Amino acid sequence: DALLPAPQNISIVSINMKHFLTWSPVIVQGETVRYSVEFQGEYEREYANESWIPICECSLITATVCNITEDISATVAYNLRVRADGGARRSEWGTLKGFFNRITTSLTPPLMKVIADGYHLLVELEDMGPAFQFCVLYWKKGQENRMQQKVVKEVSSVVHLDTMEAGPDYCVKAQTYVEAINRSSSFSQTQCVRAQGSRSVWLV
Amino acid sequence: TAGNTIFHFGPCRISMSMTEVRAGFTAIKANIQARDPIRTLSILSHPHSLHKVKSSDRCCIAHHLFNFYVDKVFKHCKTEDSYVNRKISSIANSFLSMKRKLGQCHEQNKCMCGQESAEKFKQILANYKGLNVTSAAIKSLGELDILLDWME
Repeated sequence: DALLPAPQNISIVSINMKHFLTWSPVIVQGETVRYSVEFQGEYEREYANESWIPICECSLITATVCNITEDISATVAYNLRVRADGGARRSEWGTLKGFFNRITTSLTPPLMKVIADGYHLLVELEDMGPAFQFCVLYWKKGQENRMQQKVVKEVSSVVHLDTMEAGPDYCVKAQTYVEAINRSSSFSQTQCVRAQGSRSVWLV
Repeated sequence: TAGNTIFHFGPCRISMSMTEVRAGFTAIKANIQARDPIRTLSILSHPHSLHKVKSSDRCCIAHHLFNFYVDKVFKHCKTEDSYVNRKISSIANSFLSMKRKLGQCHEQNKCMCGQESAEKFKQILANYKGLNVTSAAIKSLGELDILLDWME
């Protein structure tokens, strides 16, 4: 039997340390085509006879995307490949062009909610997983030169930043930091609030 | 912390994703240790624990042990279990990354090897060679937490 064509357009989508392998479907009239994915780290290339390791969650799947996050767990160059099976026929491996290193993941600014709880300046940060820390900057509006910083290593529900004076606006912005790849996201939009008795007042 | 730890091995400082390595090892520890029937022997702790190594020798011992695991151990630990193999790959690639970082420091002659570390590592190799390759590799992998505890 003629071989199935190998999957094409194999690429990685990696955002905030979540990594997905995607490819174009192989079309075979009247048949369900299934795909299998394997990976190879730098260790396998250099010390284990260039062996490949199957990802069982992505063995004989019909989807054209595979979550490879759990297997890309070191900051080294990885190779990835996909193969198609349809009926009794099978394709050659289609291999990702170039390597993938998680150091290239794109880091987005964190979702953040600033709360004025009476005179307390609080911030709620998105839980982005154990690899993420946050750098939170806060200042009195107009006193940008006297910014204060708080590093948040583990996201709890709400983080207390400061006790505010009545009257001035307090502004906050945050960025993520991933120590495993030693990179930071850009800063989030600035959010400003003002202490007023116990009512939260939003000023953006 | 969120994942990474900065290790000080003498003058060498390396950042390592300890959470990921520990998670990977914890996931397969019972499986690997169940494959090691020889309870009376230790590769890393016989006759003396790693904790007896002087701090001045820490860097050299760490350098040797990263090389030991990358060069000798992981490749002989392949199992029939795909999940275990994936976790071993995860640990091996993290160790490779650390071996490189510590290797750079070692090459800058900042990671001196004293008499004690040379003796200690010779003993580890002797323990390793005292078993057949697969048994020795599986036992060494099963003792990874001894190394991780010592590093921390």
